[in-house]
Amino acid sequence: MLDAAFSALGNLFALSNLIFLLLGVGSGLVVGMIPGLGGTGAVAMLLPFVFALEPTQALALIIGAVAVVHTSDTIASVLLGIPGSASASVLMLDGHQMAKKGQGARALSIAFMSSMIGGLLGALGLTLSIPVARPLVLSFGAPELFMLTLLGVSLTAVLSRGNMVKGLLAGAFGLLLGGIGAAPAAADYRFTFGSLFLSEGLDLVAVALGIFGIAEIVTLVGSRSSVATGSGLGSGWRTGFRDVLQHWRHVIRGALVGMWAGVLPGLGATAGTWMAYGQARATTRKEKKKTFGKGDPRGIIAPESANNSVEAGDLIPTLLFGIPGGAPAALLLGALLAFNIEPGPRIITKDLDIVYTIIWSFALASILGAAACFLLSRPLAKLSFVRFPVLAGGLVVVLFTAGFQDSEQIALLQVMLLLGALGWVMKVCGIPRAPFLIGFVLSLPMERYYFLTANLYEFGEWTVRPWVLVLLGVLVVPTLFSLVKKVRARRDPGDAQQDQEDQPDGEAGEGPRPPRIWSVVVPAVFLVVFVAAFVISRGYSSQARLVPGLVTVVGAAVAAGALVAGVRVLRRAGPQEPEQRAAWAVEWRAVLRSFAWLAGFIALTYVLGVLLAALVFLPLFLRLVAEMRWRGIVVYTLCTVGALAALAAFADIALPIGYLTPVGLL
Amino acid sequence: MSRKPMSRIRMTGVVMAAGLTLAACGNPQGVGDDGKTDAGAEVPSRVEMVIPYDEGGGTDTWARFLAPYLKKHTAGTPTFLPENKPGGESITGSNEFVRSGGTDGKEVLVTSATTYYQALLKRPEVEFDFSKMRPLIMNGSGGVIYTSPKTGIKSADDLVKHKKKLTYGGISATGLDLTMLQAMDVLKKPVDATFGFEGRETALLAYQRGEVNIDYQTTSAYKTQVEPLAEKGKAVPLMSFGVLKDGKVVRDPNVPDLPTVEEFHKKMYGKKPSGPAYESYKAFLVPGTTYQKGLWANEDTPDSIVKAYWSTVGKLKKDKNFAKKSDSVLGGYPLYSGENAEQEIQKAFEIDPAARKYALDMLEREYDEKLGGT
Repeated sequence: MLDAAFSALGNLFALSNLIFLLLGVGSGLVVGMIPGLGGTGAVAMLLPFVFALEPTQALALIIGAVAVVHTSDTIASVLLGIPGSASASVLMLDGHQMAKKGQGARALSIAFMSSMIGGLLGALGLTLSIPVARPLVLSFGAPELFMLTLLGVSLTAVLSRGNMVKGLLAGAFGLLLGGIGAAPAAADYRFTFGSLFLSEGLDLVAVALGIFGIAEIVTLVGSRSSVATGSGLGSGWRTGFRDVLQHWRHVIRGALVGMWAGVLPGLGATAGTWMAYGQARATTRKEKKKTFGKGDPRGIIAPESANNSVEAGDLIPTLLFGIPGGAPAALLLGALLAFNIEPGPRIITKDLDIVYTIIWSFALASILGAAACFLLSRPLAKLSFVRFPVLAGGLVVVLFTAGFQDSEQIALLQVMLLLGALGWVMKVCGIPRAPFLIGFVLSLPMERYYFLTANLYEFGEWTVRPWVLVLLGVLVVPTLFSLVKKVRARRDPGDAQQDQEDQPDGEAGEGPRPPRIWSVVVPAVFLVVFVAAFVISRGYSSQARLVPGLVTVVGAAVAAGALVAGVRVLRRAGPQEPEQRAAWAVEWRAVLRSFAWLAGFIALTYVLGVLLAALVFLPLFLRLVAEMRWRGIVVYTLCTVGALAALAAFADIALPIGYLTPVGLL
Repeated sequence: MSRKPMSRIRMTGVVMAAGLTLAACGNPQGVGDDGKTDAGAEVPSRVEMVIPYDEGGGTDTWARFLAPYLKKHTAGTPTFLPENKPGGESITGSNEFVRSGGTDGKEVLVTSATTYYQALLKRPEVEFDFSKMRPLIMNGSGGVIYTSPKTGIKSADDLVKHKKKLTYGGISATGLDLTMLQAMDVLKKPVDATFGFEGRETALLAYQRGEVNIDYQTTSAYKTQVEPLAEKGKAVPLMSFGVLKDGKVVRDPNVPDLPTVEEFHKKMYGKKPSGPAYESYKAFLVPGTTYQKGLWANEDTPDSIVKAYWSTVGKLKKDKNFAKKSDSVLGGYPLYSGENAEQEIQKAFEIDPAARKYALDMLEREYDEKLGGT
C-alpha cells in the first residue's frame, strides 16, 4: 500500500501531470468565482479535454478542479452576498455579514484557511478510510439515511430561532418546492401542471441564485451603495488566521461532518455544508450563540471546512461503489470508464495507484487553490467597496446564464425571476431564507429514504437499529433540553427576555419596513398556496401524496399561525410613522424599477438570445442606473460579452437562444 | 442624456410585455429548418451529438468515448460536438432533436433504453418515433439476475418452491427496471419491489446491506461488482437476459455459464415460455437491451449520409486500438451498424399494442403503478 502511495506521488510530480493539475486548479478557481457556476460549470469546462488525455493527466485535471471549486465559490458569497454555488450559500449568513461590516478580508482569510485544512483533512481521511470504508458505508442503510435527513430538516428550527413561526413557514415551503417533479417512490409527476420542464424538478442552483442572488441584487441596485460600509479592508488578515487557530476544533468538526455527508451517498454537498453550519451553531453555548448569523467566525469555519472535505468523502462511494455524489464525481467516473478502469471493490487491489493519484492530487490541489485564493483575494475584497449598480450589470447577465446551465430550458429564467421576487418578499418580511433552502435540498432525499425504510423494514425492526437510536438521541435530547430550559426560564423572567432578542440570521429588521398590512397579506398568500397544493396532492397515488400532504398541512397550520399573529400586530399597532412610510415608498419604487430591468433583460433574452441581449442591456443599464462614463461602459460591455462568448466557444457553457438569434450565433 | 424615470419604467414595461407575449407563444429553442436534403449529401464537417442525458453519465460517456473514433473512421473526418440536453427522462432533448435536428446530418441523437421505453409506453409528451427514424450505430447490452444466498435459492427448482416474494429495489417501474419486472413476471414469480432508488448502483448497495434479496445489474457492472461477491458466496447468479442472435435469444457470450431467462423457465416448469407475458417481455427486451445504446438520424435523412455511418462500424471493428480500449465503455458487446438491421430495428419499435397493454396492466396489477398524473 505504501509503495503505491509513493509511486503515485512521484508520478504526480512528473511535469506533465503537474501542469494538468495546475490547469485544473486554475479552471476550478475561475468557475468557482463566477456566481452560480459550481461543479456543473467545472464539468462543462473540462469535459471536452478529459476524453483526449492520458489517464493520469485527465485525473489530475478533474481532481484539480473538483478540489478547489468550493474554495473560490466563497468569494461571491462573502463579498457580494450572491451564492457562488448552491453549497456556498451558507456563507451568506456569517461570511457576508462580516464583509458588510467591512471585514471582507478577515472573512475570506478564515474561509480559505478552513477550506485548505478541510481539504487536507479530507484527503487524509480518504487515505485512512479507503481500505475500511466498505463496511462503514454498508452499515448505513435506508433507516439511518432517513434519520440523517430528518436531522437536517430539523436544522430549520435551529436556524429560525427568534421567530420559529416564520422559520418553519419557510422550511415547509422549501419542502413543498423540493417535491416538484417526479415522485421518488411512485410513477407520479407532482405539481408540474403538464410541463415537461418541471418534471425534472426545480434546479438547486437556479433556486439558490434566485432566492438569494436576485433578491440581493434588486435591493442593492435600489440603494445604489456598495456592499460594505467602513474601510476595514487591510486589517482582517491576521485576525482571520487567529480566528481559525482559536476555533481549530470547529475546523475538525466541520471536516468530519463534511466527510460523512460525502461518504454517504444521497445527501449531497449542499446538505453537508448546511449541516456543518447547523452543528456548529447548535452546539455553541447560549451566551455566545447570539453572534451567529451576525458575522461569527465559527459560522464560516465549519461550513467552509466541510465544503472541501465533502468532495473528498464523495470519492469513496464514487470509487468503491460507482455512485457519484455530484456532477464532478460523475465526470470522474466517466473518465475512469473511458480509461477502462471500473469502480468497484477491485479498484483497491487492481488500481491502487490510480486511487492514490486521486488522493494526492486532491491534497495538492487544496493547498494550491487556497494559496492562489489568498493572493487573489486582496484585490478581490475591494469588490465589496465598489458601488453595487456597477457590478450588478454584469452579475445579472452571469446569474441568469449560470442558472440556465443545468436544465438548459429558457423558461427557467422566468422561474428565477419569480424566485427572486419571493426571496425579496421573504427578506423584507423577516422570513429567514436558510430554512427554505434546507427544506428544498432535503425534500426528496427525506421522502425517498422514508419510503425505502418503510418498504424494506418492519417498523419495530428499523427503529431499534443502533445508529438510528443514536441519531434519534441527537434529534430529541436537545429539544428536551431546551424545553426544560424554557420551563425554568418562565420562573426566571430575566432569561426569557434574552430569548426574545435572538434575531434570526440578521435578516430581520434590515432596511425600511414594509407596511404592516404585509404581515397579513404574505402569510395569507402562503396559506392559499399550501391549501391549493394540498388539494392538488389529493389526486396523486398513495405513495406520492403522503409527504406533500404532511408538508402542506404543517405549512398551512404555520401560515395560519403567522396570519393570526399578523392580524394581531395590525390591530394593536397605530398608524406608521410618516418617515417610515416615505422610506418604504422610496425602497418600493427602487425595487420595482430593478425588477423591471431584470424582466426587460429576460424579455430581451427571449428575443435576441443572451449574448445580444447583454450587448443591448449592459450599456443601457450601466448608463441609466450605474451612471458610468461611456468609455467605461464600452470596455465593460465588450469584456462581459467577450467572456461569455469565450466560455460558450471553448468551455461548453450553454447560452440561452432567442427567437431572433442570428444563426451564426447558435 | 435626460433622465425621466417614469418614462423609462414605462418603456421597460412595454419591452417586457412584448417579451412575455413572445414567451407565451412557446419555446424559442425549437426553431429549425424543414427543408429537404439532397439525395447525395455528405456527412457535414461538424456534427452535433445531441445527448439527452447528464454529463458524465453512462450514455454520455459512451457517446464521448466514441466521438474521436467516429471522426477517424467516417468519410470526411467530421468533428463530433457532444451537446447535453438532459431532463424529462430524456424526452426533452429527444423531442428537440426531432423538431429541429433536420435531415442534413448536422445533428445526430444519442439514445439509451430509458428513451426507448418512453416511446414504447407511449408517454403523451413523446414526439419521436424510432420506428421511422434511421438507426446509424447500435450497441447492445445485457444483464444478470442474481439472488442472495440467504434466500436458499440455488437452482430453478428452489425458485419454484420459494413461497415468500423476493424483495427487489428499483429506480422506477417504467424505466430500466421494467425488463427485470417482466422477466420475473414470465417466471411467474412477481417480486416485492420498492422503487425510488437513485440508480442501479444504489440498489446494489441496498442488496449488499441485505435490504433486498434479488437484483439485476448490467453485465459489466455484474462482472466488476457482483462477481467478487459471488466468489465470496455472497451472491448467487441465476440467469442472464441473453443476447439476440438471428432473431433468437441465446446465451450471453460475456457470461456463457449462465442460462437465459428462457432456459431458466424451462428448468422451472419443463417448457419454454410462451403467451402474452413472454411476448410483452420480448417486445421490450429487444429494443431495451439488444439495441440499448444508439446513434440515430432523423426520418428522411438521405442514404448517402446514413450509409457513411454504417461503413464506419466495419472500420471500427478492425481498429485494434479501439478494440483494446473500448471494453469497459461498450460493456463487452459489439457495435451493430444499422445496415443489416434497419428494418429489424424499426420493426422492434413498432410495438404490438397488446404487448404494451399487457405491460401496463402488469405494472398496475403487481406494482400498483399507474402512468400519468400531473
